[in-house]
Amino acid sequence: MPTAMPPMPNKDDAHGTWLYLQAGVEKIMVELQEGMDMKTYMGLYTAIHNFCTAQKAVSTGGFSHNRGGAHLLGEELYNHLISYLQNHLAEVHTRSKSHVDEALLTFYIKEWARYTTAGQYNNHLFRYLNRHWVKREMDEGKKNIYDIYTLHLVRWKEDMFMATHNSVMSSVLKLVEKQRNGETIEQSQIRSIVQSFVSLGLDESDSSKTTLDVYKEHFEKPFLEATSEYYKNESKSFVAVNSVVEYMKKAEQRLDEEKERVGLYLLADIMNPLMKACEEVLITAHADTLIEEFQVLLDNDRQADMARMYRLLSRIPSGLDPLRQKFETHVRKEGLAAIDKVAADGDTVEPKIYVEALLDVHTQYKDLVNKAFNGESEFVRSLDNACREFVNRNKVCKSVTTRSPELLARYTDTLLKKSSAKMSEEDDMEKMLGHVMTVFRYIEDKDVFQKFYWKMLAKRLVSGTSASDDAETSMITKLKDACGFEYTNKLQRMFQDMQISKDLNSSYKDWLSTTFDAEDQKGAVEASYQILGTGFWPLNPPTTTLAPPQALIKTYERFQTFYLQKHSGRKLTWLWQYCKGEIKANFTKSQVKTPYTFQVSTYQMAILLLFNDQETLSYEEIEAGTKIGKETLDPSIGVCVKARVLKVNPEGAKPEPGTTYTVNHGFKNKKVKVNLNIVIKPEQKAEADETNRQIEEDRKLLIQSALVRIMKSRKTMQHTMLMTETINQLSSRFQPKVPDIKKCIDVLIEKEYLERLADGTLGYLA
Amino acid sequence: MAAPESTIMLTSSDGTDISVERQVAERSILIKNLLADLPGEATTEAIPIPNVNEPVLRKVIEWCDHHKKDPPASAEDDSDSRKKSTDIDEWDQKFMQVDQEMLFEIILAANYLDIKALLDVGCKTVANMIKGKSPDEIRKTFNIQNDFTPEEEDQIRRENEWAEDR
Repeated sequence: MPTAMPPMPNKDDAHGTWLYLQAGVEKIMVELQEGMDMKTYMGLYTAIHNFCTAQKAVSTGGFSHNRGGAHLLGEELYNHLISYLQNHLAEVHTRSKSHVDEALLTFYIKEWARYTTAGQYNNHLFRYLNRHWVKREMDEGKKNIYDIYTLHLVRWKEDMFMATHNSVMSSVLKLVEKQRNGETIEQSQIRSIVQSFVSLGLDESDSSKTTLDVYKEHFEKPFLEATSEYYKNESKSFVAVNSVVEYMKKAEQRLDEEKERVGLYLLADIMNPLMKACEEVLITAHADTLIEEFQVLLDNDRQADMARMYRLLSRIPSGLDPLRQKFETHVRKEGLAAIDKVAADGDTVEPKIYVEALLDVHTQYKDLVNKAFNGESEFVRSLDNACREFVNRNKVCKSVTTRSPELLARYTDTLLKKSSAKMSEEDDMEKMLGHVMTVFRYIEDKDVFQKFYWKMLAKRLVSGTSASDDAETSMITKLKDACGFEYTNKLQRMFQDMQISKDLNSSYKDWLSTTFDAEDQKGAVEASYQILGTGFWPLNPPTTTLAPPQALIKTYERFQTFYLQKHSGRKLTWLWQYCKGEIKANFTKSQVKTPYTFQVSTYQMAILLLFNDQETLSYEEIEAGTKIGKETLDPSIGVCVKARVLKVNPEGAKPEPGTTYTVNHGFKNKKVKVNLNIVIKPEQKAEADETNRQIEEDRKLLIQSALVRIMKSRKTMQHTMLMTETINQLSSRFQPKVPDIKKCIDVLIEKEYLERLADGTLGYLA
Repeated sequence: MAAPESTIMLTSSDGTDISVERQVAERSILIKNLLADLPGEATTEAIPIPNVNEPVLRKVIEWCDHHKKDPPASAEDDSDSRKKSTDIDEWDQKFMQVDQEMLFEIILAANYLDIKALLDVGCKTVANMIKGKSPDEIRKTFNIQNDFTPEEEDQIRRENEWAEDR
């Protein structure tokens, strides 16, 4: 039964008014669920209004206490309400003592809900007090005066919360621990507790705002402490009996759970500190153990586990640094081991095998970086560092440091040559060239690659063995993208020369048919010409003299006439050593339908054509007839003898004066076309050495020009500074060695470009 | 939430029931809170208004009805510009053309029922009645007895000399 209300008080009677109000407030506090009638509601409001507007109460303050206008009444009511709430909450607190754990939470939440609802009602009923007396007090800057609802919260905080929050919180933590242990709990209880703690965060300076102070101090702090403690113990005992891999799974699962917990019943605000606390005990505390395990995972290629480790360690500051270091060391070791394996048979490693060995290691770990380490740029950098190390400094490069770029250039050559045309499907080719570029980026001596590539491209173009123009162009474009225009300038010019030569040949054919009659043309040798700009091609004039056979003289003189008509003042140098031709053999006895065709070098052609006039020739006669130097003549004859085109007399004699050669009429071969134009093996090795020598020369010039460039702009410079700057400028091409730079400086001093000044400073002489 | 056009009943201090549109009645924060706090009772029973008699209550309701569409006063409206201005819109001026006793009754009712805008209009009307008048004129207007001694009056005048319009 609702308590009956006392009669309406006299408006001037403070005591009576409060007795009336107290009965109403008590009703609201404890019997609200039984309903409230409007009469009481209006009565309470009106009683407060009437009391506050009563004329008589002036006596309490008097004019001495003038507040710049009307005196506002209400302090007595306000103070009465405070002591009422204090008593009320003391009683609630006493009752709370008989509850523990979940029962305590239930009690606390229920009381809180009842109390705050009542607070809302009271706030409405005391609105008149709020609007006038409270507002005025607050406007005057009085401390500890709150609107009625806030007053309820303040009292709860002082008289209930302060005395109970420890036991409430320990109940909450017990509940959470239960859930962490896998039991099902009433999550909404914790959520309610969180909300009530948050509500108590009152901003002292502005009661309309709330702060998280109370919540942070009394909920967040103990919650984080308990969390740390729980996982500290759990992870310790888990690691003791389980593998690191298992532990990582557990830790990740726990981190996910905690993250989820925030959404379930905690304040979103706790996310960062909670995660930090968990990471601290779950990851940082075990980081050393994890990092130790990393090598094992690497050795066994456990991608998923490495990915997990990456995810865990990436959450803590600088947790990944040791992984990156280990990873880099490991990749370098693997790379070196792979090269050791293929270099087992000494220096003669196949370019293809070498490059593929490099690529395999790169591909494997690039894949790992992408899959396990999220393609993170720092790991990519570690991979790059490791690759650069083992690409440039491995067993194969030990004796000759420029082997890597050379082998890569050779590998590229085999790709672009016709012979390997089996796999020249466009996509495949692009893919392979892409692989070449992958390795190329790690090469430090890019100038070496350039030199070899240049020579081999020249050979491919001159001998027409290039597999596809598109592939060549694509490769040049790639190099240009990587190293700039200057790097590929010559290569592009060579390509242009080839195109120009093509056009030139067709206009030469037209010229021939208009200049000579049919009879005259018949006797000429059918030929095609390549005009190659001297500066852009890695070609040297022949090392030997040659008296060209008569048939050729007439042919090339005609062409020369034609060419000089077009471009007067140019000089044509015939590079016989790069020329080749085909001659038909009509001497064989065996009557085959088509005569054999020999593919020969110009030198062999000159030699063989001599036998048109004579069956047998002595070595001296050949030497005199062709004027070819011995070092070219001997192997050229040798090939003909080996192919049994010529017979030697006496049998097995060396090519030397006294030996004679006869045409072998019994020549037989399975093929109609016989290639006698075989490059003699030792040439290749000599060529490589020659190239390396050239590179050394080029480098000296590059270093010198860099030195001069730098000194010209700086005038004077410290020796060491100059060193660093020079290395900086050149490192895109190659890694200059310090002794080489020193030597070049000496050269420049000698040539009086530079001078030594005091204190190791160098000066520029204009 | 009840539909906005629903009506409720108010009972004046002298016992007359007046039916009012809910939206109109809610111009009074007191009634608005009551309706929110006691949603069951308020729609079935009349709400007693013990401090306002029928004529005044009807007058207040008339004002609320005219202003029912006004946006609710926000905290910003409390700013100085509104406080300082004594401008009153035409309808409100007319509305306030009542005898002095009624005027003060309306002000008291607005204060009691917590209708801030009406309280403002009422106070402004009174302010306009004071504006530009000498103390004696003001005393006459509001029928106030001069309870100062001549000495006191003289002292006050001297203290406030700075504010004089000379």
